[in-house]
Amino acid sequence: MTWVVQAQHGSDEAFTKLVEAYQTHVYNLCYRMLGEAESAEDAAQETFLRAYQHLHRYDQKRPFATWILSIAAHYCIDRLRRRKFSMVSMDAEADENSLELPDADAPNPESEMIHSEQRERLQGLLKRLDGTDRAAMVMRYWHDCSEAEIAEALNLTVSAVKSRLHRARRELGGLWQADHPQPKPERRPHESPAF
Amino acid sequence: MNHRPFEDWLLEDQALTGEQERELQAHLRVCTACAAIAESNLALHSTRMVSPAKGFVSRFETRLLEHRKAARVREIIGTVIFVLAGLALLSWLASPFIQEIMRSPADWITNVVGALLFILTSIRALNEVGRVFLRLLPDFISPLGWLVILFLLSGLGIVEVLSIWRFTRTPQGV
Repeated sequence: MTWVVQAQHGSDEAFTKLVEAYQTHVYNLCYRMLGEAESAEDAAQETFLRAYQHLHRYDQKRPFATWILSIAAHYCIDRLRRRKFSMVSMDAEADENSLELPDADAPNPESEMIHSEQRERLQGLLKRLDGTDRAAMVMRYWHDCSEAEIAEALNLTVSAVKSRLHRARRELGGLWQADHPQPKPERRPHESPAF
Repeated sequence: MNHRPFEDWLLEDQALTGEQERELQAHLRVCTACAAIAESNLALHSTRMVSPAKGFVSRFETRLLEHRKAARVREIIGTVIFVLAGLALLSWLASPFIQEIMRSPADWITNVVGALLFILTSIRALNEVGRVFLRLLPDFISPLGWLVILFLLSGLGIVEVLSIWRFTRTPQGV
């Protein structure tokens, strides 16, 4: 917090410390939102630039992480909207940098390989979610933000965040199933016909 | 139990009791829709942060410097445009007068000198009137009149001080 105060008083060195401290958080959010390394780097840089320009508006009562993630999320949502208008397919943009390699130092390489594949698959499916839903999911699962923090960052109500997360999980489950269909189990006699 | 509560548990992504967990596992073996949600939830819980390529901070510093340079250039260009526009506007507004001056400079100079002389003479005359007034005024007002005037002026002063004091004591902006 002292770095923030020093940066607000014009210290470039303090702001550099903030960039160092939050670069992974901001970059990860941008990467999960935009799905490619180059765009994520650009978006993360732009986020810090905007934070630098509007640092005087930062309210010290709020957590700095939420504030900077809010800037990043809004920037990425805008960028996704512009992308949508320019009719560029995100799938076509996926590059090799977006691949997550399995951790060779993991205690169980086989399980790590499976997890790595799942994460990769998840990243692909995440791209199909609506921008704001995607931001809420990323903040919830990658950044461990509470629903209240997500609501504050995305200018939503807590109930709207809950409903968006609920909807996103359902959509993701549907996409997960469609992406990798499994044989449908037969309905057992005691189960509801709706099922 | 039917499908609905299991789906709700998964969509809420809430912590389950041991019994609920067992029931859910049994349900997942027969329901592909819930199994897909459970799998995607599991993948979400095993997420990992991605870090930027090395040198992010130095790249940011370079970008910040470039941004500052660009902002400075924009500022200079803006100032130049503003000054030029101001000059153009002033020239346009002053063009009738300038034309007038250029047509007959002698008349214009005479008018300006005349105006200056008028202002100077007026100031002098006012000064003279003031002096005469101050010289004659004490003879017109008696000492008692002076006392009354002073008393009224001090009363006004007290009223003003009191109103300022009351105004500052009242809470503002509530």
